[in-house]
Amino acid sequence: MIHPEPPSLADLLRAEGLAKTYPQARTPALSSFSLSVGPGEIVGLLGPNGAGKTTAISLLAGLLAPDSGSVHICGTDLFKHPRKARKWIGLVPQRIALYPSLTAAENLSYFGSMYRISGRELKARVNACLETVGLAHSAHGRIDAFSGGMQRRANLAVALMHRPRLLFLDEPTAGVDPQSRNMILDRLAELSRSGVGMLYTTHYIEEAEKICSRIAVIDEGRTIAQGAPLELAHAHPGCSDLGQLFLQLTGKALRD
Amino acid sequence: MPPLLSTLFKELRLLYRDRSGLLVLFVMPAVLVVVVALVQENVLKATGAARMDILFIDQDRQTFGRIIREQLDGVEGVTLVTSLDGRAIDVDQARRLVDGGRYQACMVIPAGITETVRARATEQISEAFSGKSAENAPPLPHVSVYFDPLVQGAFRSSLLNAVKQMLLALEMEIKAAALAEALSSRLQRTPGAYLGPMPLGPADVPPVKMDPSWGARRLMDVVAEKSRLQKLPTSVQQNVAAWSVFGIFFIVLPLGGAIIRERRDGTLARLRTLPVSYLTLLLGKLAACVAVCWVQFLFIVLVGKIALPLLGLPVLSLGSDSPALFATVTLIALAACGGGLVIGTFARTLEQATMFGAVAVVCAAAIGGIMVPVYAMPPAMQAISQFSPLAWSLNALVEIVVREGSLGSVRHELLCLAAFFAAATTMAWARFGRIDRRGEM
Repeated sequence: MIHPEPPSLADLLRAEGLAKTYPQARTPALSSFSLSVGPGEIVGLLGPNGAGKTTAISLLAGLLAPDSGSVHICGTDLFKHPRKARKWIGLVPQRIALYPSLTAAENLSYFGSMYRISGRELKARVNACLETVGLAHSAHGRIDAFSGGMQRRANLAVALMHRPRLLFLDEPTAGVDPQSRNMILDRLAELSRSGVGMLYTTHYIEEAEKICSRIAVIDEGRTIAQGAPLELAHAHPGCSDLGQLFLQLTGKALRD
Repeated sequence: MPPLLSTLFKELRLLYRDRSGLLVLFVMPAVLVVVVALVQENVLKATGAARMDILFIDQDRQTFGRIIREQLDGVEGVTLVTSLDGRAIDVDQARRLVDGGRYQACMVIPAGITETVRARATEQISEAFSGKSAENAPPLPHVSVYFDPLVQGAFRSSLLNAVKQMLLALEMEIKAAALAEALSSRLQRTPGAYLGPMPLGPADVPPVKMDPSWGARRLMDVVAEKSRLQKLPTSVQQNVAAWSVFGIFFIVLPLGGAIIRERRDGTLARLRTLPVSYLTLLLGKLAACVAVCWVQFLFIVLVGKIALPLLGLPVLSLGSDSPALFATVTLIALAACGGGLVIGTFARTLEQATMFGAVAVVCAAAIGGIMVPVYAMPPAMQAISQFSPLAWSLNALVEIVVREGSLGSVRHELLCLAAFFAAATTMAWARFGRIDRRGEM
């Protein structure tokens, strides 16, 4: 499922010194944010609500322009050559970013054609991607008739159509049943083994612990910890797992 | 398939599956065309209560013209326009303005009518007394009225009747004056011829004989001039033009809704990570909507060509300038899509878009003369209607379909529609950029 001609495999994603303050906001949504993702690496981005995860993903995927800093995708500057860099990116948004009245196959075909995939190749990829997420039997079912889990899997399948080198996954398992979650995590692990790098945000700490090779914890727009999950937990006294570490770093106060 | 075409087909598919949207786009205007055309078939378009601007050209510049003008000025709802920009109006210019729908009628008082009518009155009385017909009687002069082809029925006949009555009253005055003069002279001459040498009793004076039918002979007439159009406009043509414009503008609802749904569902975010410019995606969306507007227009045309004749109404005729019709419908569709883009980018929720879009279209339609002719509105509303895209659309389509106009005759309206589309697209693009910078996608 890997794109055939990646220009640089050293760092699929390299972000340095990213900062963003929204107009009319008093505090920055993100400041001095740096991160890298290598081939086959799954980097978990954890943080409480409002920590800056969505802003970080938006900046890294080129949806927002930063106030400062740079993002390179497979060696290509995202903001200088956005079209070239976007070819390597796949985005799985938190919301079901599909056309509800189109079928799963139609959705995949449409997004695939945006990458100029056509004809038999397009059909073959639609079938393969639906097969990957276990939706081959529902190819001609409308998205709005799917269950939550099926919609999540279709959401992931669309992002795989152009065989991206780098996947941005924004809470891809939110609100799905354990079976669908298990399948999604299995597929992500397979993709990782095939060399696809991933940036993964989730509120399920055990999920991050299970599939992420590296974790970055952010809060109030700043990276407050970064490293392998267990190493990070053991480096902080009194923390035996990632969940405890998370609460220790970000506090127990409720966030709006 | 290239991204533009792919987006076009995707949008068409989405619109096709939006059943309630299709109902609004296709069934609503078709039902309106059928119902209103049937209702209006024998109902006269303009009523006596309507306000009418009439161009008044007085070539006579004597008693007659002045009296007719004074009397018409007193008719409620009628405004006489005797000059434009401080300059006198000539007949050709007046007919052009009436043909263009700017004024509802023009009235021409021919030169010399006062003299001719007086001469005819004297002649008629002389004939009545003598019992002989004059050999060289001056021809019957007439006041001519030229109507906008779209003005039919009540207004046409009520104006003609009002003028006829005015002329009759004037005739009576002139005839009475001429008769008084003739009688006075004849009474002085006739007894004098017999009273010379010997006086006679009243019974011996021969009676003054007069033809009793003289009073019925007309001194002048009012004539409604023939329209330049070969066929009179029908309610079908007018309703197809009006309701197809109304229906086309309802594209703002599905288009605005689609933009908001893409933003709400995160599809827009996904689209913006694609290696395709957003402009390409937008053009695909616009192309799909323009195509739908065209299908919608053709559907309404089919209703006018096939369904309405089955109900006993005239067959729809579309004028003779196909390129002008093509350009007009395309620009109307683009202007409507511009409105959809504005609604889609400015409204925050689907509910806002639906409510604001529907209310905006209905208001713009009312102001634009879709429901009530602009000339029948109060002056303030007439002024406001100049700024309604639906008024430009309706004027252009009526000009092409009903008045058999050409590209040249609708260039002003087409420019307005193009400017509206450009302004709306720019506004939507600016708003989109603002949303983008704020990270509100």
